Amino acid sequence: MQYGMIIDLDRCVGCHACAVACRAEWEIPIQYARNWLRRLGPANTPHGLAATYYPGLCNHCQQPACVEVCPADPVNMTFKDAKTGKTKTMEVAATWKDPFNGTVQIDKKRCIGCGACADACPYGARYVNPDLADDDSEGKADKCTYCMPRVATGLQPACVQTCLAEARIFGDLDDPNSNVAKYVKKGAVGLTSKNVQIGPNTRYIGNKKDMALLMTQAPQEMPEANLRRTMLADMLKPVGRQMKNIGLAGLAGTLLVKTLAEDEKE
Amino acid sequence: MAMNLTRRNLLKTASLAAASVPLSKVVAKAETGIAKVPLIPPGSFKKTKTVTGGVCEMCFWRCQLVGKVRDNRLIKLEGNPKSIDNGLNLCARGNSGIKLVYDPDRLKYPMKNIGKRGAPKWKKISWEEALDTCAAKLQATIDKYGPKGIGVWYHGASAHYPTAYFEYLGVPNMYEPAFYQCRGQTAMAMMQTLGFVPNEDVDMANSKAMLLVGCHLGENIHLSHVKNFLKGLENGSKLVVVDPRFSASAAKAHIWVKIKPGTDTAFLLGLMNYMLGKGCYNKSFVDKHCLGLNKLKTHVAEWSIEKTAKECDIPGKQIVEVAELLCEHAPHVAVHPGRHAAWYGNDFQRVRANACLTALLGAIDCPGGIVQIKRMSTGHVHWPKVEHEEDPEDMALAEMEEKYPFRPPGTPPELMRETMVTGKPYPIKSMVIWGTNSIKTMPNQEETMKALANMDFIMVTDVSPTDITMWADILLPEACYLERYDHIEKGTQWNQSDKPQQFVAARMPLVEPMFERKDSVWMINELARRMGHEKDIPVKNQEEFVDHMLKEADLSIAKLRKLDGIYIQEGESPYLKKGDEPEFGTDSGKIELYSEAMDDEDFPPLPTYTRTEEPPKGYARMIYGRSPVHTFNRTANNAWLSREVPENPLWLNDESAKKMGIKDGDRVSLENQAGKRSAGSTVVKVTPGIRKDCVFIAHGFGTFNPAMTVGYNKGIDDNSLNTKINREGETGISGMRINFVRIIKNGKTINIPG
Repeated sequence: MQYGMIIDLDRCVGCHACAVACRAEWEIPIQYARNWLRRLGPANTPHGLAATYYPGLCNHCQQPACVEVCPADPVNMTFKDAKTGKTKTMEVAATWKDPFNGTVQIDKKRCIGCGACADACPYGARYVNPDLADDDSEGKADKCTYCMPRVATGLQPACVQTCLAEARIFGDLDDPNSNVAKYVKKGAVGLTSKNVQIGPNTRYIGNKKDMALLMTQAPQEMPEANLRRTMLADMLKPVGRQMKNIGLAGLAGTLLVKTLAEDEKE
Repeated sequence: MAMNLTRRNLLKTASLAAASVPLSKVVAKAETGIAKVPLIPPGSFKKTKTVTGGVCEMCFWRCQLVGKVRDNRLIKLEGNPKSIDNGLNLCARGNSGIKLVYDPDRLKYPMKNIGKRGAPKWKKISWEEALDTCAAKLQATIDKYGPKGIGVWYHGASAHYPTAYFEYLGVPNMYEPAFYQCRGQTAMAMMQTLGFVPNEDVDMANSKAMLLVGCHLGENIHLSHVKNFLKGLENGSKLVVVDPRFSASAAKAHIWVKIKPGTDTAFLLGLMNYMLGKGCYNKSFVDKHCLGLNKLKTHVAEWSIEKTAKECDIPGKQIVEVAELLCEHAPHVAVHPGRHAAWYGNDFQRVRANACLTALLGAIDCPGGIVQIKRMSTGHVHWPKVEHEEDPEDMALAEMEEKYPFRPPGTPPELMRETMVTGKPYPIKSMVIWGTNSIKTMPNQEETMKALANMDFIMVTDVSPTDITMWADILLPEACYLERYDHIEKGTQWNQSDKPQQFVAARMPLVEPMFERKDSVWMINELARRMGHEKDIPVKNQEEFVDHMLKEADLSIAKLRKLDGIYIQEGESPYLKKGDEPEFGTDSGKIELYSEAMDDEDFPPLPTYTRTEEPPKGYARMIYGRSPVHTFNRTANNAWLSREVPENPLWLNDESAKKMGIKDGDRVSLENQAGKRSAGSTVVKVTPGIRKDCVFIAHGFGTFNPAMTVGYNKGIDDNSLNTKINREGETGISGMRINFVRIIKNGKTINIPG
């Protein structure tokens, strides 16, 4: 099973209700957003004048860049398939991709607030809230959960429920009979580019011109921090697995210094 | 520990992060509206109580709500699952209602202005003192000048009871901007032509073609109306959008008519001329139901395709394409009647043209057309009828001046304002301003300020410290729509082709009002007592007020509560049954293409186009419209909505921008043709999606009361630049798209090339 969301731009009117309902549902502080809407155009596209919207949220990617960079202490965690009751135990850091429903989740209790995941995401889908800092962390990472707690009780995600345009469709992409899978067959695609191909499971569909405009929002490069974080995170992992990475330590150090210097300039 | 300096730098600049105490350490406090941020938010669906009976008032579409309440605190609003109108859906504004409830800037106590009007200093006073003062001052005005010495500007459901009271007192001067300058004009022109007021009951969902002239559905989010529109598109209806700007609707259109601003009437006349010439209009309908076809035919004959194309600055073949499309699908054509019509000061005629076009297509009471939706009826609360020395009807300003015969009910706003300034034909010396931010609704704000300066007394009631509240002598805090009883919402299922149903929902509070906020029934009754009218008080409290209105439908608050807030019964399809004939409430009982009544009043009896003034060299016409997350200025201070859309970007044509050296995202302010400059600034949206002869901004920004800490000085107040007035004779309403602007960047004035 792989949960996914389709956003139908032919239907979306850009009312921002999705972003606000999400904020209300999950008490998101005003500085941050799990769910956002950007107004695009009117602008010329190869297919004509277009104006549309970029309603964005976590893509719960097939190869999530955020998961592998998490340096929190790994623990064994047992996952359960909501449908079959089957279980699976995996070693995970403070963020992981669920082996049964395919969503990417965070354990806020164990999150150390380092921001590695937020830096790694090419979509800017994560943020770290420093106001939630505790003795063991600098804050807590947060992002869209595809409303798993709501879905578990039979409800739709908050953004889907409030959408007056029925422009958001949620379901199991692996189920060929689901609406979301049908949309994929009709051509719904994720926001990807030549260098960013991590399998987003939030997908968009619309006419040619709107999609052309939307695609201007696709990230063009994986964040540089991603590489740095991946290496640092790997180094922090248990010694046995670290050995193979020793040669990389020098490179990672250089990259770290370079990026920090750039950060300071800002 | 690993660091994320980019994020830190970002936070340093984020204004809200300036509150350096971690929110997790702040004790949850209902009074201030600051709540603790939970580590793992529980969601609105767990350990909450669902309170039913809410009716939204973030805009005027009035969706039906439920509230999720935890620890007596409203944490989320959702559509009422029982609703056959909005269903579970809410728009961004509906979702943000709780930020109004807990807005720390809201009015909390009665206050007295110990500073100046317009530059107030507030002193908290008791309700006793506030009401005593209001009663004494209003009574003093009545004693000296009669009830006509009082004027009322009002808005919304909470003003129904107060206006009923002032009518009982004999006050003839009442102005409601939301009606007068918005739907009122459209309503009157439709009434004059069709004999009924369609409002926006246009069956887009079941249409085969839609025509929107200036409507920008999508930016104008009235929930079930937008659902209706989208259903039409889903069903394959062909959409024609006539707009100088590539609006949210135009972006979904099959045909975008990039019309020259102010020429819409010419366009409609051109369409009609083509249809009549070709004979492709709905002949059987017109022959049976319309008066004046031949006169209309002769009248529009001058509007050849060539002439229309030239006047409207659009390709002639596009006019033909639109006309053919509409005729092909007649009568299942949704010609949208429009809402706010006060554009150029010749708007009554435009709406008449729209109604005539609808009639030529026969698009009335059939799937896809204008439909007369059958809603349940409920009662009214009246104060007793009393004799007055001077009949208030005779004292109505427009009546005395024998002006504006086709005006909507109420007093024309500028006529009242002039009277406030000149004292002619009689002095108006006290103002009651109830829930309307009229400084933002009437063009020419300086005149409004001058009029207010001339008053002996000004009482303002509102929920928030809107701009107009700065002119109050006494300022009263009102409970908001989630804390009070008032409005009765009546409607049907949103899609007219679905099983016919009717519903009634009453606004019932989801939470108790905090601080010393009160409802309007309480306030007016207390005022009435102090003015010696205790014996005539018709209802004791807000519950009785609502129960009284519900009684006619054999309902009550108690019954509605048991029904989760909404009563639903079988309805009636608005489509005419086979063999039934439509009825029209005009004098003639027919659709009046030619209006005898208008001729009698010396107005053009056939829809007539008048040119609007062209922008002077170096200026572009300022057109305005809606932002989808704001209801004009009412939502400017809502933290969630302001975060989504904080200001109103200025749309500027890309080729013009290039010549001007202006780039997308530049910060600019505006100067109008009279040299009036905007107080605030905004960003430029450089786009090919607007004509060169106009610029666009959304209305309602540029709040100037610093007490509105979120909305204060964000964006540009378009109305502050509406200094020129062009009032039409039919209704006394001024067009507001007749002002012209150029751009100021870095203190330098830059002309806009035409």
